[in-house]
Formats: sequence, structure tokens, C-alpha cells
Amino acid sequence: MYGSAQIFDTPKLKELENEDPVKLAEFEARIERGEKIEPTDWMPKMYRKQLIRMIEQHAHSEIIGALPEGTWITRAPGFKRKMALMAKVQDEVGHAQLLYSAAETLGKPREQMIEDLISGKSKYSNIFNYPTFTWADSCFISWLVDAGAIVNQLANAKGSYGPYCRALDRICAEEAFHLKYGHHCVISLATGTEKQRQMFQEALNRWWPPMMHFFGPSDKISVHSEILMKWKVKMASNDAMRQQFLDMYVPKIWELGFTIPDQNLKKNEESGEWEYTEPDWDEFKRVINGDGPCNTERLAVRKTAEERGAWVRRALKNPKSAYVTPLA
Amino acid sequence: MSALKSLDPRVARLNIPSEIELITEKEEQDQLNTYQVFRQMNLKRPFEHVGIVHAANLELAFTFAKEQYSRRQTCSGIWVVETEKVKTTDFTEDQESIYSKIEEPENKKGQMEEFDFFHLDKRGKQHVHIGSMKAENHEMALWRAKQELELDKPVYNVWVVKSEDLLKVEEGFQDIWDTLPDKRYREAVDYKAGDKLKEFKERMNQAK
Amino acid sequence: MSDIELKDLLYKVADDQLILGHRNSEWTGIGPLLEEDIAFSSMAQDKVGHSLAFYNLLHQLGESEPDIVAFTRNAEQFHNSKFVELPIGEYDFSLIRHFLFDHAELIRFEMLSNSSHEGIAKIAKKLKGEVKYHVIHADSMIKQLGSSTTESIERMQKALNFAMPYALGLFEVSEYEEKLISNRIYAGEVAIKDRWIGDIQEIIMKTSLELPDTKILTPEYGGRKGEHTEHLQPLLEEMSAVFREDPTADW
Repeated sequence: MYGSAQIFDTPKLKELENEDPVKLAEFEARIERGEKIEPTDWMPKMYRKQLIRMIEQHAHSEIIGALPEGTWITRAPGFKRKMALMAKVQDEVGHAQLLYSAAETLGKPREQMIEDLISGKSKYSNIFNYPTFTWADSCFISWLVDAGAIVNQLANAKGSYGPYCRALDRICAEEAFHLKYGHHCVISLATGTEKQRQMFQEALNRWWPPMMHFFGPSDKISVHSEILMKWKVKMASNDAMRQQFLDMYVPKIWELGFTIPDQNLKKNEESGEWEYTEPDWDEFKRVINGDGPCNTERLAVRKTAEERGAWVRRALKNPKSAYVTPLA
Repeated sequence: MSALKSLDPRVARLNIPSEIELITEKEEQDQLNTYQVFRQMNLKRPFEHVGIVHAANLELAFTFAKEQYSRRQTCSGIWVVETEKVKTTDFTEDQESIYSKIEEPENKKGQMEEFDFFHLDKRGKQHVHIGSMKAENHEMALWRAKQELELDKPVYNVWVVKSEDLLKVEEGFQDIWDTLPDKRYREAVDYKAGDKLKEFKERMNQAK
Repeated sequence: MSDIELKDLLYKVADDQLILGHRNSEWTGIGPLLEEDIAFSSMAQDKVGHSLAFYNLLHQLGESEPDIVAFTRNAEQFHNSKFVELPIGEYDFSLIRHFLFDHAELIRFEMLSNSSHEGIAKIAKKLKGEVKYHVIHADSMIKQLGSSTTESIERMQKALNFAMPYALGLFEVSEYEEKLISNRIYAGEVAIKDRWIGDIQEIIMKTSLELPDTKILTPEYGGRKGEHTEHLQPLLEEMSAVFREDPTADW
């Protein structure tokens, strides 16, 4: 469950001029009524394109996200943690499958989406471009990165595209234990030995800046996406989600006696908003465009997996029938 | 040529060349076909559509579907069918049932065989199996269903599938799902840390 | 029936499951197809879960707790076969290993379900359904990859030829075999092997693959007596890396 800030194209409103105005009005009315758009419904090209992009990115995030956490499976301390982590990472791969399937209903075959990932054309959640140095880093991801993803996901589950919403519902149901597991791991570290506490504090220091990037650039420098909000493709602003995350989880981090590496982080009791040091958006841009500590590795692993697995897919291909777009 | 260095020991074992131009394109032949998957939670409930898998044949589609769609809760059966073999109707709006739009087909030819029906009774939900009946072909199956089904609610959309196109894995295989309820480590309730947290907070308060 | 015979049996069963479960888990996130990735991870989880069930039984018989037993022993104290400790290699090897191991495991579980030892029978009966699925999966994949493209047939044959001597190492007979058989704990390794050859031959016949002649192969024995390849110790160190930082800590 690693969906985070989606990178949207600046919607080219000119494209809408070519769409049938009657159909467009009906389409928008349906969304307004709260009804779901299904694969066989008429939809504007821009809606289809933006949705494919968004769902695809979410799917890529799941499969790439499986890497920094998956590395800890063999090293997980003890059976309880190991079984849980195996189940969790497996779920993430399963979520990738569910999400690619949802995007496929819009007309793009899965292998084409995967090609866009390995060619670098499509992006995935930036937070996975950072390395997990210790077990505590893995616990940070399991708790707080998942928490962030859930904030994003709960918003998107109320979106307009049927298959995506249904995939998110299924994901939420499986997720129920991920967050609890992550929190449980961190509590064990927090209430454990001095060494364990220190391990987590150091992980927290490392991961806080990327976590502040997680929901995407602040609204004031973000892409304008009113039409995407109208079509219920983008469901909440980056800042709104970031605020929700901070409100829910900063107190939980503090109650464990950890310090967050931002002296300006505090809740303004009057406005109810959290104040914080503005994250470095140049760094964010740099990393997401390829210059992070793990970008090369993540893609190299993914490409290697695709390449070494190609013979399997070729052998699984049924030459007698052709691919058709999946239903629902 | 040196291997890609990584903190991940298994990545290190993969011996990925650090300076090689890896593929950025995939072959066209890579794309597998999709299969629609239906799952039955328990013997008292109908089969429901849950999603798709990519696979080579029906047997593999089932094998994959079992892990992708029945990892949680309970399961007593899974059906799979190639997407291509599912015949669909249009969608209707409001309170109109799609059956009211079904016309008598011209082609009434064919051997009588069994067809399974899946109904969608609300936008946003998924198709549910409602039964099967014999017919000469898909169009006749819909036509016959229109005459014979007593529907108390409008149906938005129908999927019709030749029963022989479905692989139905149920009787005799239920034991593969036996241990599902035991896997508590996959359930949120298994992670209770309330006491630990409480005790920790008390300790912190005392230290102050 | 003294415990030493039982423990010998249980350790080799559990150690095989623990090590193979870890090896198979290394494919999570890098499998050749998403659906296959998911299936393989599930089965890896099952294996680790099975080892836990058997370690728990060993604990009831007086051995240390599962975490200690699994994550603090060294290579020469492990009784897994050499087969399961080999690195994952490419997918052809891992699939062949899965196919050969799980057919043997299913037969073993069926026998253990009828064991005169109640504790063993209970576990085996409960978990048998999971292994049944493992075999279904292995058979589906082997049948497809063993008959599909020239490339896949060649790869699978090569993997099969390489794996066979190691697979035979699964059936290394222990010094307590007679006692275990006469006490009806299970029917013994030779009995498993004989049935196993028939079962895998049945599937192989449906492919373009050929089963190597087991009579002329030298089995890779030693694992059951603590003699291992150079691959086991590093894996054990990796598995226990965090745990050993503080075995008394609560993780």
C-alpha cells in the first residue's frame, strides 16, 4: 500500500474542446451524483489518460516498494516478525496486481505499463528511492509510510472510477494488519533496549525528510488540477493529506518519546494546522528525476527481474488466443 | 565488470552488472491473456466476481487466482474463465432492467448446453452468479432467461458464460482453504500493544 | 520410543521447511510474473509456518523455543538437505526444486498424518491442504513450462538434470530409521522415495522433459548429518543478523 503523491500532467484543457458536449455533460452529471464510471462508459480522453497514469503510478509504487521492505524478510528477527513481514510484502505485490488490473480496464495492457516503468517513462513513489539501513528503517516504512499511503488511499477510494475504487476497497481490507504490525514493531523498539530505541531514532532522523515529501509538493507550487478534482480523479490536495497525516501520527511518535528532526514542527492550536519547516522541493525534484540514492538500484533490479523472467512469460503465452481488455 | 552494490544481500546475490545497458523495451510477445475470477466465500453464498489474473491456461489461472483472491477470510471455491469467452450485455440506467432491452435473436441454432449467468444489480458493485440454464447459444440464453427469470430488482448488466468454458474448482478441493482462518498473523487483531504502550508511558511519567 | 529418534525426524523436516521457505522468499518482488510472485511468496510463508509448527512440537519435547532453535544454531547443527540450501539460481531451478521437494513433502505429510504419534499426526493433518496446493501449483507450472517453447523445455531439462542428485539427498536414511518405522511413526525415507519417483514421473510424462535415471546418480547426502555446502552458513548468518544483535530483546 504505497500510493502517494501522484505526478499529474498539467491537464491540457484544450483537449476537452474536441469532446462531445452532451456526452461530457452526462458524464460529469453522473460523477456529481456520486455514481461510478465503469469501463464501458463513455469518458473524455483526458479522464482516461490521467486515470491510467495515476493508477499505473500507484501500481509501480507497490511493486518497487516491495524491494526495500522485502530485503528484510530473511533478516527479520524471529518467527512472528518474519511471517508478518512476508505476508505484508506479498500483499504489496498483490496490490500491484490489483492496481494494474484496474488500469488495464482502461485499455492499456499490463506489459506496456511495466515497460514504461523500466524505461523510466513512468514514475513511482519517491520515498522508495531511499535505502533501508537497519531493521528499524524497515519498521519506519511498515508503520509511517504505510500510514501515509492509507491517508491517500482512503481519499481515492471515494473517487469516480469503479474498478479503481473496488481495487482500493480490497487493498484496504488486506491492509488492516499492515499498519498495526508496523506500529507494533516500533512500540517494541521504543519500549525495548537502549540500543533498540537508538536504532529507531536514527531511522526516524533519516526518513523524516522523505516522509515530508511523500504527499507531494505544497499546494502553492503544485500543478493546477481543478478539473481532476471535479472529475473525482484527484480527491484531496497534497497539503490537506499532509496535514491529516501529521495530525494523526506526530502525537503517536512523540508519545513513544522520540524526537522528530524538525524544530519548527508544532500544531498551531488556534488554526488547528501543523506548522513545519518547508521541505526542500528542489531535492524532491532531483530525486524523483533520477538522482536519489537508490533510483539506479531499484530500476536495475526491476529490469533484471523482467529480463531474467522473460523466458517464463514467453513460455506462458498462449499462441492460440489474443489479448483482450479485461472487464470490470 | 563489477556487480551492482546494494545493502540488500539478495540483490547482491543477483549479480546485476552495474554498468550495463539493461533492457528498456519488452518484447511484444510478453503479454499474457486475462481470465476473470469468481470466488465463493462459503457454501451458503454465491460465486462473485473478484478480478482478473494473467495466465497461460485455465489450470494456471486457478492456481494464480487462489493466492491472489483467497488469501483472507474464507473460501470454498474459485471459478475462472478466459475474458474473451464472457459475453456481456449493455448497461442500463435507473430502474430499467437490461432484460427489457433483450430482443429475440435471429440465430436460434446450436446444441443445447449449459450457460452460467452473472448479474450486476448496482453500479459500482461486482457481478454475482445467479444460476444457469440450457440454451442453444449465448443470445438464446439471454432470451430464455428473459422469459423465465422472475426478477424483483432491475439488473444493470449481465455476463453470460458457457459452463464448459468455466473451470470450477470446488468440491474435493475445499481442504486447500482449511487453514485460512488460522493465519492470525495476517489479521490486525493479532497486534495488540496497548498494555506495552501504557506501561511505557507510565514509566516515562515516573521518570519525570 | 525415545525422544531422540523423534527429534531427529522432526528436526530434519522442520529444517528443510525453514531453509526452503527462506530461499523461496527471496523471489518476493522479483518474480517473472506478478501472479507467480504472489503464489511463490504465499508458499514460502506456508513453509516457514510449517517449520514453526514442528519447532513448537520440538519445544514440547524439551528443545529450546522456536526462535532460539531457528536463529542461533550454526550450519553443522542443521539437518536440512543440501538441496534446500542451494541459492535460488534462475527461475527454472527454483521451480524444479519446488516441484521435486513438494511432491516428496506431500507424501511425507500423508504418512505423518497417519503417524502413531498424536502430536505429529495432528500437525500433518492440519497442514496437508496447504502442501496439496503447493503440488497443484508445481504441477501446473512444470506441465506448462515443460511443454511450451524450445527454450523453456531446454532450461527445465537442464535444471532437472542438475537438481536430481540433490533431490535424492532428501531421502537420506537416518540411523533411527528402523525404530521409526517399527514404531509406526512413519513408513521411512525409502518408502517416500519410491512413491515419489512414480508421482513425479507421472507429471514429467505429460511434458517434453525426461526424468534422469535415478539409479545411476550419486545422491547428495550429508545434510541430515550436519554436512553442508558453503551456502548454508552465510544464509544462517543473514537470517539471524538482527536477532543475534540481542536474542533476549523483544523485537
